[in-house]
Amino acid sequence: MPQVRLTLGPVLFNWSAERLIAFYRGIAASGVFDRVHIGEVVCGKRMPFSDPVWPDAIELLEEAGIEVVLSTLALPGTVRERKSIAEICGDARMVEINDLTALPGRAGRPFVAGPFVNIYNEGTAAFFAARGATTLCLPVELTLASASAIAAACPDVETEIFAFGRLPLALSSRCYHARLHGLHKDSCQFVCEKDPDGVAVDTLEGRPFLAANGIQTLSHGVQAWLPTEPEALNTGVRRLRLSPQAAIDMASVGKVYRAVLDGAMTRTEALRQLSAMELPGELVDGYPRGVPGCTIAAPA
Amino acid sequence: MSLELVCPAGTPAALRAAVEAGAHSVYCGFRDETNARNFPGLNFSPDELNDAVAFAHARGAKVLVAINTFAKAGAADPWKRAVAVAEDSGADAVILADIAVLDHAASKHPGLRLHLSVQAAAATPEAIGFYAKTFGVKRVVLPRVLSVEEIAVLNKAIDVETEVFVFGGLCPMTEGRCSLSSYATGRSPNLSGVCSPPEHVAYEDDAQGKTARLAGFAIDRFAPDEAAGYPTLCKGRFVVQGKASYLFEDPVSLNAAGLVERLATAGVTALKIEGRQRGKGYVAEVVRTFRAVVDAVEAGRDPVEAERILARLVEGGRQTSGAYRKQWR
Amino acid sequence: MVEPVTGELPGLLRRLANPPPLVRELGAMPLGAVLTRAVRDLARRRPEIFSRLNEHRTRSFVIAPTDLGLSFRMVPNGVRATVAVSARGQFEGDVHVRGPILALLGLLDGTLDGDALFFDRTIAVSGRTDALLALRNAIEDAELKPSDLLGLSGGLGRVADFRVPKVLSKLRRMAGMPLDEVTP
Repeated sequence: MPQVRLTLGPVLFNWSAERLIAFYRGIAASGVFDRVHIGEVVCGKRMPFSDPVWPDAIELLEEAGIEVVLSTLALPGTVRERKSIAEICGDARMVEINDLTALPGRAGRPFVAGPFVNIYNEGTAAFFAARGATTLCLPVELTLASASAIAAACPDVETEIFAFGRLPLALSSRCYHARLHGLHKDSCQFVCEKDPDGVAVDTLEGRPFLAANGIQTLSHGVQAWLPTEPEALNTGVRRLRLSPQAAIDMASVGKVYRAVLDGAMTRTEALRQLSAMELPGELVDGYPRGVPGCTIAAPA
Repeated sequence: MSLELVCPAGTPAALRAAVEAGAHSVYCGFRDETNARNFPGLNFSPDELNDAVAFAHARGAKVLVAINTFAKAGAADPWKRAVAVAEDSGADAVILADIAVLDHAASKHPGLRLHLSVQAAAATPEAIGFYAKTFGVKRVVLPRVLSVEEIAVLNKAIDVETEVFVFGGLCPMTEGRCSLSSYATGRSPNLSGVCSPPEHVAYEDDAQGKTARLAGFAIDRFAPDEAAGYPTLCKGRFVVQGKASYLFEDPVSLNAAGLVERLATAGVTALKIEGRQRGKGYVAEVVRTFRAVVDAVEAGRDPVEAERILARLVEGGRQTSGAYRKQWR
Repeated sequence: MVEPVTGELPGLLRRLANPPPLVRELGAMPLGAVLTRAVRDLARRRPEIFSRLNEHRTRSFVIAPTDLGLSFRMVPNGVRATVAVSARGQFEGDVHVRGPILALLGLLDGTLDGDALFFDRTIAVSGRTDALLALRNAIEDAELKPSDLLGLSGGLGRVADFRVPKVLSKLRRMAGMPLDEVTP
């Protein structure tokens, strides 16, 4: 068993039921990830469409020996959304909480604290650990130095870093996809399904900058933090989260990360291989290095 | 029960102006990264806070100290010290966001009244109940994501006071859950107590007008005869699918003066004015106007024309009631 | 004939404020010394104003009134502060502020709001926005009175504090400055 493991994060975008099931079928067959998150995290309005998919996806993944984590909404509001969180928190499987709303219903049993939970220091990390957190996927803007201070103070908890994919930067009660199409959120016609990697947001000078995904704002750049296993372990990082993007084969991305972790591929070669894929944006890795998140990932 | 008007003070002069203009409470922060308005030249030293509390208390006003950023990993001392200094000053409450700081304050300063900052983004009965039960939080500043109807329902489901924003700058993003600023600049509200920090701001003039940049990204461009603005990231103009627009938020200010009566009926305890980065003249005028609004509502008098009075003070001259009306979404 | 920019000094005053080059050059040096001493005196009386500037107290602020034949370069480093005055050419500096002298004076005593003046383009700034913001906030909190700036005390100070704002306000109206004054 490798010491640093790969997690496939939840799909953040509005994918059709067909796309989701085909995606998880491919992931189950690939054998690259030992833990896979499923569930809607961004928008409760998408749940009636994706909910029927999850039992089949769970079955596919668990039959392949993969641990399934049920992720919960990051910005719950309605009674229906809160009920769904309460239901998920009662599940015997591993659950990821992405808002404090889920904590009272899950405290005392094991859970993953997702990147939407504000764990910025070892005091907060220890607080969650004492209530059942076994994995902390830290907020995307934290530096490795902070991650390392947290990992050192909480050795029994796995520290996870958001290592691949467009970075989830912000949430709003306003839907930018709806606003973009001149619609209200309440009658949004689910226009976000047109952009399975989010829609690019450029500056007035045409420079790629951000991406909108319903109520969520992501980076335009695609995070590519590619440590070797000793590098990850030195900072106490024991899991890397790879976040699904639509236009590329996530199993291939996972294989590149595994090869770098194992010392079988150089970072330079990994960046070259990733860049050759149909990524929605340029590769960035500023946050872990303590510089602006948009900083281009340069070969070592 | 009467409504409490909670007013901003970026400097001791602004605090005095707010109190004299009729603030029931004033909130302020220390001159470091422990508060979410960590701009150069702003905020209070411990001595200035002591004087401010004495000044406010002598005039029947309260002082709330915002220590509402997230303590840095491996370096939480400034936050712990800030809580201790605030308590020593005799301040009436501290406004906190980070669980580590709340935990510390609740266990080491049991006599200190705790408010939950908007930066904690607690918007459901479960989340608010968690903070109340775990740390004894007495009041929650609600995220600007709820409509008046939702606030009324929420207030019935919780047993702590609620405070809502009624005027000033408006974050379209859920506060405490936004890293746009650090993506561009390396500094953000959660990391450093500052959004779109001024050391990354540059204005460029050319024949087409003025371009406002943040860390090199063109956030907005203004024609020569157009009023310019500060390049706060989420208030910029961006291009999506070939069309330029204020994607996240138009240049508007929140003004919920017209909703004060409904907010009171919805069970809200306190009304908050944003603007610790604004000058004392601005603060005085907004506070005076809102005090009149509150007094009129409580006396059952005709509403005050706050929109008209405050029109010249708001960003872009335009006002919105924000998420309090569901159509905003 | 160039139309005066709104807010600049009216005709006669403008000529008075712009004496012939030789007179200006002769006056610049002693004026710099006088202003340096005034700022240092202020730092001795009100050190808290300068401590608010933090690391920005060693930055150089170039202030160029568009309707005055002089420009100023200030380093607000407390009791080691310096002010230089030049009758020609441009100073180098970390921050540049340009605008009508009446607007700049209005900023100094808090009569006018800096944000409003900048955003409606009455004043133009360039250079380090963080240093400028620190200075603006320090001045905002200082509540400077004419007597503070002129180093006057006693009866003379009280007269200055009463008369100077009225004169400036009147001049601003004469200059057609289209701004509401802040009345705290």
